[in-house]
Amino acid sequence: MINKDQIKSNRNIKRFIPPFMRKRTFAYSMLTVNILFITWVVVTETGLADELFLPGPLKVWQSFIEVSTEGYQGNTLFIHVFTSVNRILAAFILACIIGIPMGVLMGASKIARALLNPLIEFYRPLPPLGLYTLLVMWLGIGEESKLALLFLAALPGLIIATIQAVQNIDPVYLRVAKGLGASKKTILFNVYLPAAGPTILAGMRISLGFTYTVLVAAEIVAASAGIGWMIWDAAKFLLSDVVIMGLIVLGLTGIALDIFMRFIGRILMPWTRYLGP
Amino acid sequence: MKNILNKVSKTLFGSLSAMTLLMMTFPIEAFAKPKKITVGYLNLVNAQLVTKSLGLIQKEMPGVEVKHIKVGGGGDMLRAIAAKQVDFGGLGNPPTAIGVTRKLPIDGIIVLNMLDFVEAMVVRTDANIKSFKDLEGKTVAAPFGSTTHYLLLQALADEGIDPSSMTILDLRPNDIAAAWARGDLDAAWFWEPNLDKAVKRGGNIFMTSGIMEKRGYPTWDVGVVMKKFAKQYPEYVEKFVKAECAGIDFWINNPAETAKIIAKELSLDLEDATRMMKGTEMVPCKKQLTSQYMGTSNDIGGFADTLVKTSKFLVSQKRLPKQLKRKDYEKFLDPSYLEKVVD
Repeated sequence: MINKDQIKSNRNIKRFIPPFMRKRTFAYSMLTVNILFITWVVVTETGLADELFLPGPLKVWQSFIEVSTEGYQGNTLFIHVFTSVNRILAAFILACIIGIPMGVLMGASKIARALLNPLIEFYRPLPPLGLYTLLVMWLGIGEESKLALLFLAALPGLIIATIQAVQNIDPVYLRVAKGLGASKKTILFNVYLPAAGPTILAGMRISLGFTYTVLVAAEIVAASAGIGWMIWDAAKFLLSDVVIMGLIVLGLTGIALDIFMRFIGRILMPWTRYLGP
Repeated sequence: MKNILNKVSKTLFGSLSAMTLLMMTFPIEAFAKPKKITVGYLNLVNAQLVTKSLGLIQKEMPGVEVKHIKVGGGGDMLRAIAAKQVDFGGLGNPPTAIGVTRKLPIDGIIVLNMLDFVEAMVVRTDANIKSFKDLEGKTVAAPFGSTTHYLLLQALADEGIDPSSMTILDLRPNDIAAAWARGDLDAAWFWEPNLDKAVKRGGNIFMTSGIMEKRGYPTWDVGVVMKKFAKQYPEYVEKFVKAECAGIDFWINNPAETAKIIAKELSLDLEDATRMMKGTEMVPCKKQLTSQYMGTSNDIGGFADTLVKTSKFLVSQKRLPKQLKRKDYEKFLDPSYLEKVVD
């Protein structure tokens, strides 16, 4: 009797734990996180680390509460994050709209690839910061130059992943579709995109991550809100608790965006269970 | 084989004991000589450019590699100091207040300059700005954390104007000049040599740091040394101060020559360099020991009061978590090297 009850209550508890948390790999991931956290506590509590450079978890938590409620230099944490995520998504979506069709075109047509390749191959390895000075001179200190920098950071990864995805499509699919008299439009939407989808999505995830790394740089010049700007400004005043708090928030926001991308992928491409790392 | 080993160990032992003997006879400081010193200097018009150009520091310390690094503003210098990338640096009073309050291991050893109209607020002539009140709704730039950012906010506070009634942007001096040229800014408070570029492109000077000094808000730059370096090589700090004092004397005694140096160092016209020089006040090292400036080791001067005032302001701006007592800012100022050099 008791046993049955216990099993029942166990099941009830299990219901509230999301499936990914039940996996053993999750436990290992948590181990890493915990070790890192404990090291942080030990190093700061024992005074091994200078408080000016590495404040303790409590101090960082306090700054999180303070910036969330009172704000940092006129804006709350939410507004800083919101501003930055807006910038990133606007630039990234624009890059997808331009980059993915360009990639499909370049993957499908040798002529298009030959025409566009010099451009992409030349600017791809340029460090975005090197371009930034020029962008500020051309587009000014407003939102345009920030968006342009993020856009340029997002674009090459998308294009290259899409080219790869299209080139790797099994030619049998194409031959079959053509043999059955499919139009070019049908081939594009019913063969190319569905077959290349998963690789494109992987490219999008990498590209979004790269765009994220340029965020602080994009917000250095003449911003007054944004999580990247907050980190930059706090560093100038040696407010390392705000800097570390900002970095943690930045990292978590990045993870959230990535999960969101995978979610979208699963909805758009139900035919392929995307298994990401 | 055994023989060779024996020989080697004997020679080793011999030289080791000789070294120990030497070390025992002479105090170790007598040998303390840095291989290389790194001087971070601010990109503005002061006598550090003269000292650098004439190689005065190098003359004081032969055999030591002297490296100069140009740093854009106080915020960047503070980071360079926090990261221990320089041995000597220059800081305006707001970054100094931040550094000292946050307990950066630095000592203030010499007054580099007092800021007059070399730092000024330029306004776009057609924006019709006649008072601080007129800035409402406009776009204003200043390098955050610097002397001019401090003066801008202080001036607004004094006039009872809410800073959020205008857009205040954080830009570095060279970025201000570029943004100004595009017409993105209505006003900017920053310094030469970039200030002049804005004035020449449809701007006029509305307020100067010299006027703010008369209102009770002096701004200055102070030369700092890393505490660790000062402890290890005190004589070399003295040599550094001596060289900078010589630079200041050269500036005061040879204005024409100095203008040529400044023009060359900053790629300016001679005429512009001459005018910019007049906007910076150089204080002779002997005068630095009076109560208005550093004061003496026993009686620290007015610089400590400026630091107290600046910190208080930064705390009210939430840029600093807390304020220290005057005594703590006094500890940062160390006129002892100046005293040795002047005597």
